[in-house]
Amino acid sequence: MAKRVAVKLTLSIAVAGTGLLMMGLPAAAHHSFAAEYDSSKKVELTGVVTKFEWTNPHGHFYIDVTDPNGKVANWNLELASPNMMMRNGWTRHSLKEGDHVVVVATPAKDGTHTASAVTITKSDGAQLTFMSAPPPDVK
Amino acid sequence: MKRYLVIGYVIAVGAVSLLVAQTPAPAPSNAAPKAKGKGKGPATPSGPTPRLPDGTVDLTGVWMGGGSNSGDITKGLKPGEQVVMQPWAEALMKTRKSQDDPEANCLPTGVPRGSPYPWRMVQTPTHKAATHIFILYEGNIHSFRQIFMNGKHPDDPDPTWYGHSIGSWDGDTLVVDTVGYNDKFWFDYLGHPHTEKLHTIERYTRTDLGNMTIDVTIDDPGAYTKPFTTTGRARLEQPGIEIVEYICQENNIDLVHVNAPAQLP
Repeated sequence: MAKRVAVKLTLSIAVAGTGLLMMGLPAAAHHSFAAEYDSSKKVELTGVVTKFEWTNPHGHFYIDVTDPNGKVANWNLELASPNMMMRNGWTRHSLKEGDHVVVVATPAKDGTHTASAVTITKSDGAQLTFMSAPPPDVK
Repeated sequence: MKRYLVIGYVIAVGAVSLLVAQTPAPAPSNAAPKAKGKGKGPATPSGPTPRLPDGTVDLTGVWMGGGSNSGDITKGLKPGEQVVMQPWAEALMKTRKSQDDPEANCLPTGVPRGSPYPWRMVQTPTHKAATHIFILYEGNIHSFRQIFMNGKHPDDPDPTWYGHSIGSWDGDTLVVDTVGYNDKFWFDYLGHPHTEKLHTIERYTRTDLGNMTIDVTIDDPGAYTKPFTTTGRARLEQPGIEIVEYICQENNIDLVHVNAPAQLP
């Protein structure tokens, strides 16, 4: 098991359509993104990767997030499909167990520790962006 | 690839600076994918419509895009047309749940619903008018269709996800006539239904090297009051882009988090 680090967990809620910078391309390639995730919310999670699944129909990675009281929750973070991610520069080595990451993600509506990752920042500052859906011009 | 990296960079910068509202995905469009201009990535390959040595239009290649709007099939109709469902079909559609979409459950999308992934058209023989044309799908769900050129439909075909397709040429347009569909797939994310009476006529016209128009006439007297035609366009992928493996059943773990009416992506 990777070493756990002190982390922060913040939950930020922004109402969609408020005119803020809009970004993030939800998963549309397979199931309905809107049916699973609450696009009016974002979570920022800091933690350690416990597993990375380079699988179809979507990739996933899991991180242990420790709250200020020391309680650890394992989050399931959905990615795009490997074909789409590969075409956006990812490889199966892009994440690995033990990586320390900060993730901005869209949480699931069902309140579980499940979210769709939007951006991932690694401890060396490297960023992985990810598109759950293809660029609009290729739909 | 560079185009995607640029888009990714923009997204990255935006994401770390703010926790922001996320917009819903735009409904999948059947509009022509835009060719990219200078500095925005590779343009759609350009040139004249390619032909085989015997003069037949060559439709082979790796394509992106399709013949209907996969979010809502009523968008992108031929001008002046409309979709009118039988009352029972309308009632059924209202009961449909997103998690029950066959596509989300790794089952085929049927015709004409597409995916946002590339597909390859292949023919045999390769250098003269085809006897068979195949469509190889990367996703969803890494399946294939086969089109029997100048063939004949069976008298009583078993209902299947892609039906029985026969092809012919109308000038430079490939016409694919398909019957024998099952009633299991949905036309779109909204859950527009159909019956085993479905009959589709697809018209593929490669207007130049990089572009192909795809019109699909949908005739299902079991679920709709009259036929309607969708219009779409596919773009040829850049040289070097290949379809890759996509086995949807491998790790389809997300649906347990979905409990919602059928809806746009």
